Amino acid sequence: MTWILPEGASLDLEGISSPLQVLRGLGGGSQGQVFEVEVAGERLALKWYLPACIARDPHLKRRLGESIRATAPSEAFLWPLALVTPGPDALPLLRLTEPGFGYLMELRPAGFVGAHEHVGGHLAIGLLQVLRAGFFLAEAFHALHLKGLCYKDISLGNLFLEPSSGRILICDNDNVDVDGRDLGSVLGTPGFMAPEILMGRARPGANSDLFSLAVLIFRLLTRHDPLRGRRELAIRCLDEPARRRLYGEAPLFIFDPIDASNRPDPIEHAAALITWPIYPEPIKLLFEQTFCAGLQAPQRRALTGQWMAALAAALDQRQLCGSCGQETFPAPSDPAPLCWSCGCPLAPPTRLRLPHGQVTAAAGNELHPHHFDRLLNLRLDQPLARVEAHPSAGDLLGLRNLSDQAWRAELRSGQQLVLKPGQACNLASLVRLITPAGAVELPC
Amino acid sequence: MPFPNVRLANRPLHFIYICDCSGSMEAQGKIQALNQAIRQSLPGMAEVARQNPEARVLVRAVGFADRAAWHLEQPTEVQQLQWLDLQAGGITAMGEALELVAAALQSPPMEERALPPVLVLISDGQPTDDFDAGLAALMRQPWAQKAVRLAIAMGHDADTEVLQQFIGNDPGGGLPAGEIPGASGQRPLHRSGRSPRRPLQASNATSLAQYIQWASTAVVGAASMPASRMAGSGPQANIPLPDLPPTLMDPTDDVGPLVW
Repeated sequence: MTWILPEGASLDLEGISSPLQVLRGLGGGSQGQVFEVEVAGERLALKWYLPACIARDPHLKRRLGESIRATAPSEAFLWPLALVTPGPDALPLLRLTEPGFGYLMELRPAGFVGAHEHVGGHLAIGLLQVLRAGFFLAEAFHALHLKGLCYKDISLGNLFLEPSSGRILICDNDNVDVDGRDLGSVLGTPGFMAPEILMGRARPGANSDLFSLAVLIFRLLTRHDPLRGRRELAIRCLDEPARRRLYGEAPLFIFDPIDASNRPDPIEHAAALITWPIYPEPIKLLFEQTFCAGLQAPQRRALTGQWMAALAAALDQRQLCGSCGQETFPAPSDPAPLCWSCGCPLAPPTRLRLPHGQVTAAAGNELHPHHFDRLLNLRLDQPLARVEAHPSAGDLLGLRNLSDQAWRAELRSGQQLVLKPGQACNLASLVRLITPAGAVELPC
Repeated sequence: MPFPNVRLANRPLHFIYICDCSGSMEAQGKIQALNQAIRQSLPGMAEVARQNPEARVLVRAVGFADRAAWHLEQPTEVQQLQWLDLQAGGITAMGEALELVAAALQSPPMEERALPPVLVLISDGQPTDDFDAGLAALMRQPWAQKAVRLAIAMGHDADTEVLQQFIGNDPGGGLPAGEIPGASGQRPLHRSGRSPRRPLQASNATSLAQYIQWASTAVVGAASMPASRMAGSGPQANIPLPDLPPTLMDPTDDVGPLVW
């Protein structure tokens, strides 16, 4: 690639107090190029725009400046930190006819990979991490929308995942705008755009973000597209007019409960048919809400908070199949649940009873502050305890104290012991755990 | 436990290079520059293919000189592709090359369902055979009509008129010079008057490499997975084409302009 900023050069830029050294080019597209740079000893990423991109989007600079002042809604966003324009000494070094501008942001940390790697089936990732990624994505949009902002152009291309944890990063935050102000040119990416945007009936905002968010969660959970079923098979050449029909003119959810005419094809769309039965009913209902009534009525789309609640609840009821070991999510109310993977009956699990909710005892499941206090926000990033398998005796489950305070454990023998931070206690011997946040009860 | 071993259903995206291998391509290292440009573009193309789970990018190549022949006949996944050098020598059977491509775009062998094919015609001269018959045969194929057709003129002896016929009418023909068809407002995006719907003028090895890279990455991306849309772009052709690579001012360019 030919880089528009010379690698190795030191640039004197307005907007930052120290000179910036261009270390190497990281990538480029139709908007501009991204570089790894060093400013005052700190490694950062610099995105530099191409003149054509600036010409198309006359309010870009103003939006960026406002985003920088507003600061990031959450750590999930690789948010712009500073806007930079070339100083007089830097001008001759830029390989552009019009110099333009750029912005600085944090470098994407190692371990995060493009979400397309998951959707393309190239990634080793578990259902636990995928559901967590969905939660973190909804949580990030929740924070963004609460700030009165909207993203406008979320797609697989600007989402990154850490497969080991399910943590996410949202990049390309340069279309972020105050919701409803419409000081931008982007409409979105076909396939992720709400129908009213694709058809030109409305401009992107928080309501269309909710549609795109649901598409993205659907694609993470199923590795398939919510609107591509049998109707897609009738399309020979999948080009722009065809996408417009599928996503704008005549969209129909592949799992629409009333109209079954766009169901997935057993061969071409196997991913959707295999993955859909995995997920609990409340998650499916949010998809139906967004992709059925919400297709034409933006105000009926599932809200960020609803997604967070449904995804967190699914994680609470995660259970490993005793026969095949696969992750399953049976509803506590289901009298005779079967494993979606092997079809075997699932044994009734041990459920930890908490002041607010229940968590199935399965390795990897976590207790969070919101399980103890219903007034706390739903969060998954500060667990108080985690269910873990014993390192050598895998069928022994323990609960590890991840808090910084000691807990009191009451055992079946009547004995009491202190569970220090970092220690795990065998669940089989436990009746009750007393923590400063509240009690964890085990069934007798 | 791992996520179920499933993946998004994908469609083939056929990418076909149609390369001039006539004797004049031997001059000034042009054929070498073309081989290099294609070879250098492959890692980027493979990366784009990986980022587009909806597409299975398959590459083929036709060379034409005294006759036209498949240089790479088997549709090859870009990740597996090893580019063998084209050799130059002979005259310019461009029409026959288009007939070969036409046969390949017939169904069958074309799949029933696919993404729009991408055809890239690269030439430095004038066809010496019946170009019109070749083009007519090509354009009888529905897949050719749906295809993204690009042309690169190497040097200034290329017949840009036939290249334009291959691309089809520039829908921006009535617009002020420099205006990209469908671009928003009156602001010309490409002051040089360049447009992806016109033959791309590669006057040296650097710009050739840029155009080949653009065709094999940005265009493949646009044909396989939709990109962000900007307001005002209005109804587009069947595939909206990405911006051309920027015109770079490169005083330190020591690649050495081959004077074509």
